[in-house]
Amino acid sequence: MIELSHVSKYFGTEMAVDAINLKVEKGQFCALVGTSGCGKSTTLRMINRLIEKSDGEITLDGQAIEAYDPVKLRRRIGYVIQSTGLFPHWTVARNIGLVPRLLKWPAKDIQARVEELMGLLGLPVAEFAHKYPHQLSGGQAQRVGVARALAADPDILLMDEPFGALDPITRVKLQDELAGLQARLHKTVVFVTHDMDEALKLANHLVVMRDGHIVQQGTPLSLLQHPKDPFVESLLGGLERGLKQAALTRVKDHMSSMGPTLPSQFRIPADFSLRQALSMMLRDHTDRLAVVDQQDVPIGELSLRKIVKEAQLEKGSMREA
Amino acid sequence: MSLLDALPTPRLGRGGYPNAVLISLSVVMLAAVWGLDTVSVAPNRIVQGESVHVQNAFGWPGALLVSLLVIALGSLAYQPSRIHYWAALGVVVLLLVLMPFGLMVASHFLIDPELPQARLGIGGGYWVVLFISLLGIVELRLRLGLKRLWPVFILSGVGLIWWLCAWLWLKDLALVQEFKARDHQFIQAIRQHIILVSTAVSVSVVMGTLLALLMRRFARLQKVAFALLNFLQTIPSLALFGLLLAPLAWLAANVPFLAKVGVSGIGNTPALIALVAYSLLPMVRNTYTALEEVSPDTLEAASAMGMHRIQRFWQVRLPLALPVLLEGVRITTVQAIGLTAVAALIGAGGLGTFIFQGLGQAAMDMVLLGALPILILALLVDAGLGALAEALRPGGVQ
Repeated sequence: MIELSHVSKYFGTEMAVDAINLKVEKGQFCALVGTSGCGKSTTLRMINRLIEKSDGEITLDGQAIEAYDPVKLRRRIGYVIQSTGLFPHWTVARNIGLVPRLLKWPAKDIQARVEELMGLLGLPVAEFAHKYPHQLSGGQAQRVGVARALAADPDILLMDEPFGALDPITRVKLQDELAGLQARLHKTVVFVTHDMDEALKLANHLVVMRDGHIVQQGTPLSLLQHPKDPFVESLLGGLERGLKQAALTRVKDHMSSMGPTLPSQFRIPADFSLRQALSMMLRDHTDRLAVVDQQDVPIGELSLRKIVKEAQLEKGSMREA
Repeated sequence: MSLLDALPTPRLGRGGYPNAVLISLSVVMLAAVWGLDTVSVAPNRIVQGESVHVQNAFGWPGALLVSLLVIALGSLAYQPSRIHYWAALGVVVLLLVLMPFGLMVASHFLIDPELPQARLGIGGGYWVVLFISLLGIVELRLRLGLKRLWPVFILSGVGLIWWLCAWLWLKDLALVQEFKARDHQFIQAIRQHIILVSTAVSVSVVMGTLLALLMRRFARLQKVAFALLNFLQTIPSLALFGLLLAPLAWLAANVPFLAKVGVSGIGNTPALIALVAYSLLPMVRNTYTALEEVSPDTLEAASAMGMHRIQRFWQVRLPLALPVLLEGVRITTVQAIGLTAVAALIGAGGLGTFIFQGLGQAAMDMVLLGALPILILALLVDAGLGALAEALRPGGVQ
């Protein structure tokens, strides 16, 4: 668990981060979102003491970070940056094995761990272990960067716009893989990005920052439903907000039981998002879809009218609460 | 131009545009072969030699063979392709290999065996062809994308052939005669030269690295040190040697201990001090830049992964700076090899001795005896350290 209370950072007289409070529970994926210069990277780097905070307190598992030796602290925290920061004079295998080597693991264990991680990140050992960073594509290099951060199995992972420099297709692919990894590994992740879609897709705790302040934080759905001010709303995509919200909702949460006949010739799997369902309705000129399970057996129906009604109800109940 | 007009027009898409560099080189070479004297003949060491042109030195068949090779080089460059470049490299190497045999032919034609003092001097045309061939190798290496060690291999082979020819058959060559008259002195001079250069460079590598590290730690030192080193660099070398003479002589006279360890107004001490003073600027500048230029992202990653400062320096900053740093050592060494020649004037010995003695005696071949090894030494160091820097680039490539 990471907890920041009243943490500030001044560069000279300039205030970069202003008395923020933030709590990231164990296993939570927290995304810091905001425009450039809002203090999100500074916040991240104060956690592993690459930048020393000016004021306030940061604790890891209840212990103040000053209590740790900074070098030992960093070996316990994985760190991934946009430019990968891979060492160009080392092979992929040596790059990944860095932290275990610093921790003086036995050579055999290091090698086993490197191979395990390369497998986990889809980098065939025979093909990649002896390559140098300049021989890799952007996506491959960032996989190595993530593998290096995970090498000593840290509880905490800090990621500073890790996919910002990648092309859209590779970026989406790596986002999916990171989501899959997180589902298995349950790290405590703090993830900095200016890409709201990326944050909505990966995070279960969303923090919007502006000018060194935290404007709003909460679950992605709660921010989408109740943005606090026009800034948060514009960051969340303004008019697109409805679709983004739909993207976070599963079809199975809105389907109704099926009548005696197939409601529509068009089928959608139950674990697809509502956004995909809406897109399908538009594409196929229909307001009803048959919901199917993984074996393609129809299990229910989804109707546009019902989705809209439920959204109204949800909004109303939230207001009252 | 009529020569070039006679060549086939370039076909587009196969070889690309004609290589202007090689064509110009071969035109200049051809002009030098026919326009300048090839060798000179003198009855003894003192008398000014008599110039001999190519057709008289090598005979018409020899002169035509040289011209044909040069024309072949130019024509190969007219339609460049990989195969043509390799062929051009072959032509240049052949030219270099044939050159000592040309001298043998010339000495056979021109030197009267009755005159034991008679000697063959090397003329302007011959030198031009030699140096342009070397330039040609540089150009071809770049075009073919060969490693820096290639020219060293090629030239070592060529040099061996030259050495054998000079040793076995070219007794009449003035250069060989100058060498034979003082071969012990020559070996001694080369040794002194190398010792002076390597001592000066070693000292400046250590001092330069320390200074660069201090400058990184204390930013204020940086301006002062660079200003001082820049100022040192502007003093003419001869003047610096002269300036050191008086204070060092005084020290030697007044501090017996210093005199005992060899400090004196002339000789090795002032030479070393001056050489180190000159070497420091390129050394410090390159070391400093090399260390500063390492990508901040890579360094931050090193810290973020949990490296100590010292680990970060030895495992990341230094290895990544090494190629640029070695470049500094290369520049420094090549510069010191040349400067050491001047040190002969204050009695430090080395190959410069022959240059200044030769100048004093108006014996150009003796000047060459000093100048050529300096040139070769500089080229060897340049290629060797350049190749080392190339090999140390991250991941072996780039």
